[in-house]
This record gives sequence, structure tokens and C-alpha cells, in this order.
Amino acid sequence: MGKVLVRLEGVSYSYDGVKALEDISLTIHCGEVVSILGPNGAGKTTLLKCLLKILKPHGAIYIDGREINTYRVKELARIIGYVPQIHHSVFAYRVLDFVLMGRAPYHSMFSLPSESEYDKAMEILEELGIRNLADRTVAEVSGGQLQLVLIARALIQEAKILLLDEPTAHLDVSNELRVLSIVYRLVHSRVVDTAIMAMHNPLTASMFSDRIVLMKNNRVVAEGSPREVLTRENLYKAYGVDFEIIVKDGRVIAIPCRTNTIYPIE
Amino acid sequence: MDKSILVKALIVFSLPASIIFSIFLGRYPVSAYDIFGSILHTIAPSLIHSPPDPVQRIVLLYRLPRVLAAALVGISLSVSGASLQSMLRNPLVSPHILGITSGAAFGAALAIALLPGYVPIELVAMASALLAFIIVLAIAWGWGHGSIVSLVLAGVIVNALFSAALSLVKFLTPDPHRLASITFWLMGDIGQAAQWGDVTRMFMVITPCIAVLVLARWRINILSLGDEEAHALGVNPVVERIFFASLCALATASAVAYAGVIGWAGLLVPHIIRLTTGCDNRSVILYTVFLGGAYMVLADDLARCLTTEVIPIGIITTLMGAPLLIYLLRRAGRVWR
Repeated sequence: MGKVLVRLEGVSYSYDGVKALEDISLTIHCGEVVSILGPNGAGKTTLLKCLLKILKPHGAIYIDGREINTYRVKELARIIGYVPQIHHSVFAYRVLDFVLMGRAPYHSMFSLPSESEYDKAMEILEELGIRNLADRTVAEVSGGQLQLVLIARALIQEAKILLLDEPTAHLDVSNELRVLSIVYRLVHSRVVDTAIMAMHNPLTASMFSDRIVLMKNNRVVAEGSPREVLTRENLYKAYGVDFEIIVKDGRVIAIPCRTNTIYPIE
Repeated sequence: MDKSILVKALIVFSLPASIIFSIFLGRYPVSAYDIFGSILHTIAPSLIHSPPDPVQRIVLLYRLPRVLAAALVGISLSVSGASLQSMLRNPLVSPHILGITSGAAFGAALAIALLPGYVPIELVAMASALLAFIIVLAIAWGWGHGSIVSLVLAGVIVNALFSAALSLVKFLTPDPHRLASITFWLMGDIGQAAQWGDVTRMFMVITPCIAVLVLARWRINILSLGDEEAHALGVNPVVERIFFASLCALATASAVAYAGVIGWAGLLVPHIIRLTTGCDNRSVILYTVFLGGAYMVLADDLARCLTTEVIPIGIITTLMGAPLLIYLLRRAGRVWR
């Protein structure tokens, strides 16, 4: 197992008295893709926001060996790159200019990106196979392409850690597989050190994760390799739904069973 | 590529061209020799004989300061508009959103109605505009921690409050002449700011504010991505938004306090630039400086030369702006659809 990159110790957070995270302790190592898996409202996004220092929780978070509160926002942005679930663009920036904004943590308030940063942006677009989009605007590309553009923006940050908030929630199956396999490849070819993804679908999480953290009601229910975590009991505990578990070529596949019971929506 | 460079060059050229053109314009004909003679004679009296006195007075004391005042007002409103649209993530925002204009209008009305001749109108207008903005900031900070929605809503609330206060002042003003001056002030007139002293004071406030906004134009891009993404890119969105919004407020307050309420320039000019150069603020804010100045200078030309009376410039900017924007949106509708 690689070096420890992220460590959470007893992290709790509540929004105006409403609990969103309770006593989360986690360790994330170099070289692994970690999925934070759980139903809607389990606290996945809150956890990511704590790692981004957008929220200030109780407990301690260590990023790359240092306590998170000792980082300035700008320093943290050089270590952690963030890919939102969806980007609502108000202004239709050119894709190349949009990716370039990932260089912001390396600039002062008054400096402008340089030629070499343009070249770097083109390289990254090439690497992700979307070089042809460079001159289009972000309003003109498809959902799957936009997700890759957002990943490109996180990569140009030269971040070691990628945080992705349900990156494929709005995508069709082919785009979902494409985006997730790119994330998996980025970590395993060591372009980035780790990727932490919030996910709600056990099936895709099992296909592209080295480790899964299963959450329910603001707590961690189970944690470990997909085989350890994705059991019928754990999944029932988290989702209240029966799953059929199939192991194929060493990979776990969790398929939700059709049921006639109507579950109360939480 | 060549075409876009040509368009950008034309935009840059439009400001000096419109300024020079406008000095010629007016009922008293002057020649190029008169204009440059007057200016050169003032700078270096030994080099050139002074042109006839009335010509010199018209050029130096009337047309030149008026044209420069128009350019300053235009630059201030347009660049503030472009920056605010970006950082508030709303293309419909104009610099009047932050309560500044209503504040200035109330202050001016108060000065005209109650204290005529005792204090300069622009001073009361400026103070009242800044007071309005401070109330906006206080509401936005106390209630929404400076989020975009809280800032815009606070602006709407303060606008409404000061508009009501303005109506009250008008209602309580018995003198019809003063009421007429208030109404005229509200329609905007560059002529109110056309003394050298006014131009200098506007210049000293507007130039540093606009210079900082122009220098930080790429940073304003980052703010336009939304708070979470800006934060993840190492920018503190709340602090920087309030800083940049304060610069816009100061520049707008200064323009409005001297020249009255002039609508549309702050909304229209940034959109024209976006439709020609794309949305990146590295070009939008930069080229808005030139076109914003030129637009107001030309609008003021129409205001003072179209008829024998001076038409309030607020009417001209709107009459010019609305059809122009409709035409542009029709041509490039896909950008905003």
C-alpha cells in the first residue's frame, strides 16, 4: 500500500444543527481509486466539501501529512483538483480557455496565463482524447465531453488528489464507462496519486474502484475492497434494497433485485 | 483570425476616433488647426500663436472636458457592468443592481429639494450612493455571508427603499422648478459634469478602480465559475467578489453622482463585446473600456447636437441601445439561447 495521502479522524459536520457527517475516520493511500458509495443524502458530498475546505468540520483532516487548516486555499488547490457533478456555464467560454482556468492556483490576482500554459492545456486535452473540442465553447459540448473538460481542468492544476462528485450522474452508459475508465487509468498510470469519487451506483463503483467506503445516514457502514464491502447485508443496510451479488473474473457485480415492496423514500 | 484582429483594432480605435470627431462637432464650426492650436498653446504657449479667443474657449472649456467626461462615464458604467455580470453570474445585471443609482438619485433629489446652492449636488449624491452600497453589503454579509443571491437581493431591497425615499422627497417638494430639476437630473446629462474640476475628480476615482478591474480580468473569469469551483481553484470567492464589487460601486457612484442616471450602457456594451470576441473576460473587460467610452461619447454627441435643446443622455442611450441589442441578439442568438 502506498503512502498515506488523506486521513480523516473523527470528522463530524452539521448544517445549522442538522447532522450531515458523524464521526468519520478514513485513510486514503497513494495509487488507489476510492469510491464513497451511498444513497442520496448519505453525506458523500458533504465529505468532499470538507476535504476541499469549503466546510469546516469538527475533527481532524490531514492532507499529504499536514492538517487541512494549515493550508491556504490556494495551496490546497495545488494538491486537490475538484470535478463537480455538473457545471452550469453562464458564459460560454472556449474549452481551451476554460481548461486554462485550472492554472488559477499558480497565479496572482493580476497575472495572466502564459503561452506554455496554453501548450500544457493542449497536451492534456490530447491526452484525454478531446483535443478536437479546444475551440468549441463549453455550451456546445455534450455532457460526457464536459465531464472530460472538467477533468482536464483539474489535471492542469497539477493536483495529486482528484475529488469527483458523482461525475457520471448525468451521463449515459457509454459516457459513464468512458469517464470512469479514464479516471481509473489516470490513477493507475500515476498521472494523479489518487481519485476520490462520490458514487451512488454500486454497480459502477464496483467496476472502477480499488476501495469502497459505504455510507448511510452520515456514517461509514463498511469500508474495504469491493469484494469485502459489496455484500448483500451491507447493501441492504445502506440502500434498503436486495442485491444479487455475482463474482465474475474476480470482480464483484452488484445487481439490484426487482421488488414489489414500496420502500419509504428517505 | 485576421478578421478578429481587425475587429479588435477597430474597437480600440473607436475611442480616440470618437473623441477627436466629437470635438469638431457642435454649432460653432472649428477647424483642426483651431483644436490642436488651442491644446498645443495651452501646453506650450511659446510654440504657437493662440487661436482666436472664442474658439479657444469653446474647445478648451466646453467641448474637450465634456467629451472626456462622457468617455469616463461610459468607461465606468460599461466596465462595471461587464465585471458585475461575470462575478454575479448573471448576464442581465447592470451596474445599477447594487443600489448605487437609487442611492445617488435620492441624494441628488435631497440636495436639490432641501439644500439648493448650499452644497454641491454631486457630493450629496456620491455620499448617498456609497451609503446605499454599504447597506447592501451589510445586508448581504449579515444574512447570506456574501453569497451571490444575497448580494443581488440586498441590491434589489436597497434599490426599492431608496426609490421610495426619492418619491417621498419629490412628493414633499412644493416648488415646481425644483421638482423639474430633480426630474431632469434623473434623466442624466453629461453637461452637469463638463467642468474641468468635475472631470478631474471623476478621473481620480474612476481610473484606479477601472485599472484594477482591467488588470484582474482573468481572475474575474474564475469568479464566474461559481463559488465552489472558484474555491477549489484557490480563490476565496466571497472576499474577492466583495472587493471587485466595491470597485464597481465606487466607479459607478462617481459617474452617476456627476452625470445622473444613465441606463443601458452597462448592460449593452459588454454584450456587444461578448458577441464579437467571445466570453473570456481577458478580452471582454479590456475591449469594453474602449467601446464603452466611445459609445457614451457618441450618445452625448446626439444628445447635444440632434436638436437645439440638449436631450437627456439617458434617453439617447436607451433609444440607441435597445434596437442595437435586438439586432445583435438576432444575429448571434445561439450564444444565449
